[in-house]
Amino acid sequence: MNSKHRMVSIMLRGGVLAFAWAVSAGSPAAAADAAPPPAAAAPAAAVAATQPDAAPAAAAPAGDQAPAEFKTLDQDVQGMKKDVIDLNKDLFVLQEELLFPANTQVAVYVSMDVGAFFALDSVTLKIDNKEVKNYLYTAREAEALLKGGVQELYLGNLKVGKHELVAFFTGKGPVERDYKRGATITFDKGVGAKYLELKITDRVTKHQPEFKIKDWE
Amino acid sequence: MSKIHRVCGFALSALLAGAALSANPTLVGKPAPDFVLKSMDGRNLRLSEFRGQVVLVNFWARWAGDSRQELPALDRINTTYNRAGLVVLGVSVDEDARRAREFADAMKLGFPILFDTMSDIGRDYLIEKMPMTILVDRSGVVRYVNAGFKRGDDRTYLDQIRELLRE
Repeated sequence: MNSKHRMVSIMLRGGVLAFAWAVSAGSPAAAADAAPPPAAAAPAAAVAATQPDAAPAAAAPAGDQAPAEFKTLDQDVQGMKKDVIDLNKDLFVLQEELLFPANTQVAVYVSMDVGAFFALDSVTLKIDNKEVKNYLYTAREAEALLKGGVQELYLGNLKVGKHELVAFFTGKGPVERDYKRGATITFDKGVGAKYLELKITDRVTKHQPEFKIKDWE
Repeated sequence: MSKIHRVCGFALSALLAGAALSANPTLVGKPAPDFVLKSMDGRNLRLSEFRGQVVLVNFWARWAGDSRQELPALDRINTTYNRAGLVVLGVSVDEDARRAREFADAMKLGFPILFDTMSDIGRDYLIEKMPMTILVDRSGVVRYVNAGFKRGDDRTYLDQIRELLRE
């Protein structure tokens, strides 16, 4: 085989593969129509090619076998789907362990107590002057916080040493005024996970909300 | 043209066709990418909080002429089907939120208008043509993607909406 023929053969195979891949990715139904099960279609086609007159007769038995083969194929597909789900779960756990190893992990939580003087709209989080999270709260989420819910706002990695965390809270303050406040904490990240909590509470004596950051040792 | 050249041409066109198909992955059948955006009335709305209802998400822009025709049509659909469990969300992808707000104000639309000024959500929804209307079923799966708008398309939307509301 000369080089021209080899190139043509490679390109043809590549073209057919790319097309089959694109069709199967775009429309499973179309792929099924375009490529009948080889076990069912190939023998019938082979018989038809060698004995043109016997083609209709040969196609019939192949059609009868098809449901049983489809059934086993369906079972195989179901089994494979289950394997994929199991594998996905294992990969997720592994990914969590790799991406957020306990030694470098830093987690930031948000909690809200009372909330009579502040309606939370958004929180922007900066660590070492770099914005790491900007979260908009829907009415339902704010309500969940008021009912005692604690939200994991951010999970990331930090190296050992001193770090600064700044949180900006925006929302409606007393008398429906637009309200924006910040809270800062400088913390030491040692070996082991670090947990910080952004706490929004009411300061009843001043009729103002209060924003604190608690470092869970 | 020699036989080899013809075969090469065919193989190349098959390759390109395959590449073109795979470069346009569709969202249909996949869970709708979740988003939370600020609406014109100041509320923050999250798509996933409308699970259980049929949601029509319309991406529009001031500069897309078809949006001027489509938005009033969507407003009529919203008025009729809102009580049947349809939620219409208009997402402006204009960079200038103030001008988009003026535009929407002038239209006097009865459904929430959200602002995606950074076009982050538009990217998640693989917007290639404006306006774009996406229908999400009660379980949060994208069922129809309608790119562009021409007269009569609202009737297609109605068929799609009725089908999803019946499920």
